[in-house]
Amino acid sequence: MKLFRLAAAASLAALMSGAIAGTAQADATLDRIKQRGSLIAGVILSGAPFGYVDAKSQEQKGFNIDLATELARGLGVKLETVTVTPPNRVQFLQQGKVDLLIANMSWTEERAEMLDFVPTAFERSGGIALGRRGTPVKDWPDLKGRTVCLSQGANFTKPLAEEIGAKIKGFPSQPDSLLALKGGQCDAAVHTGATLRVMLLDHPEDWKDYEILTPTDLLPSLNVIWVRKGETDARDALDGIMRRLHGSGWIIDAAERNRLAVTPYFLETRDANKGR
Amino acid sequence: MADTLLASITLDGAITFAKGYGLNFSFLKSAYERDMWLEGFRTTLVLIAVTIPVSLAGGILLAGCLTAKNRLLSLPARLFVELTRNTPTLVQLVCAFLGLNMLISDALGGAGRNPFGAFFWVVTVVGMHGAAYHAEALRAGIEAVPDTMREAARSLGFGRLEILRWVELPLALRIALPAIFNNLVNIVKLTTVASAVAVGEITYASIMIWTQRDIVVELMIVLLLFFSAINLALSQVGFWLERRLRTPGLGPTGQGL
Repeated sequence: MKLFRLAAAASLAALMSGAIAGTAQADATLDRIKQRGSLIAGVILSGAPFGYVDAKSQEQKGFNIDLATELARGLGVKLETVTVTPPNRVQFLQQGKVDLLIANMSWTEERAEMLDFVPTAFERSGGIALGRRGTPVKDWPDLKGRTVCLSQGANFTKPLAEEIGAKIKGFPSQPDSLLALKGGQCDAAVHTGATLRVMLLDHPEDWKDYEILTPTDLLPSLNVIWVRKGETDARDALDGIMRRLHGSGWIIDAAERNRLAVTPYFLETRDANKGR
Repeated sequence: MADTLLASITLDGAITFAKGYGLNFSFLKSAYERDMWLEGFRTTLVLIAVTIPVSLAGGILLAGCLTAKNRLLSLPARLFVELTRNTPTLVQLVCAFLGLNMLISDALGGAGRNPFGAFFWVVTVVGMHGAAYHAEALRAGIEAVPDTMREAARSLGFGRLEILRWVELPLALRIALPAIFNNLVNIVKLTTVASAVAVGEITYASIMIWTQRDIVVELMIVLLLFFSAINLALSQVGFWLERRLRTPGLGPTGQGL
């Protein structure tokens, strides 16, 4: 039964890229990382504070990069990063192009059925809505029947559509969605609070006519590191490192360095892992 | 009541059947995702149905201009064809929708007064892209019309436009048919760029679902089958037209399947 799926996946991959991707590598990631001498991390560079390309130095920066660097150090190997996007990140992981994903990909039940994740999350956040100053939208329920721009793959899609009753327009990335908001294509844009807040701080001129409309976060969820299903060795090794990073206060330092708001989640997780 | 029960039994049955082959279509149980997906099929068909006539009309107009003796007509048409054909459709669409559309909104004093939406820009950009290719195909056809025919038409007192309408275009169309249907197949596939500006066609709906559920293979199979079916039907129409319009001694005739 599984065979058909694998065959379909393989022939599709062959059709699309002209090369058959190695789909099912068993529990060998940790060995491969050590053998290769490098950790290949899939990261999203869609904007500060999580990941971005510095305009001056052309270097990759942000919390995702700092965390990936520290994980590679913890495993005793070098770091290589591969930029992924929401529509392709899972394929990159499953096809073995990356060892893990630090890709703004919060925990959901559906994802946990397909992939394994490092139980100790690195952050917990939800979405906020950005809109033009003076709109009648003051809270989440006010978005009912209104158009909301977001990134394809955002896990706010479902609650916004099904519970709040907003009309959804999903764009390939956050910058596209925000341009559409400015172009008047939607009443609000919903993205992770951490990225929108830093953007408003960094570019006050561009966003002077806009403000955060919602007092609370939508669907706060854990931002975790994802690995391929069944790769328990890698998962456990990474979890040990994550616990140390939380317990030593490194995560909070990295958050502050990258202007990620230090939420109660960071403090609780630090206290729970103190002394590791 | 009985109908909905039957529908749910068959839907559940189909989902379970697919699961037996390792394909997870359980998203069909979520009303929101199912509706978005079905709406995607409809939107793709509407997009195709609107874009193809737009591209054909644009192509005929451009071909007429390209073959005109008057430089005031042929030069702008040539410039337009080169600009459209030499830049990627996706780039044109993003420029038009996120750039040009914003300028229009500003000029009209707010997005609320701008009548153009994402759908309009997809039809315009893809339609004009197709028109540029049609125009070149038709130009090849027009230039392949024997000069003796043009002379004969002129001697009957036909003007330039009349020759184009009654002599050149009917023959050019026959010669250019394979190339035009090639372009039409391409236009059908090009409608998927609409997903980049959140027009809810089938690729967009599929991307929205697979980024939530990570079931790329399942949706990709359906996508490939869907577009294959449309284009297979379209090219059969092309072969049929070729046979139907065949002029003995002039132009190609395809066999089809």
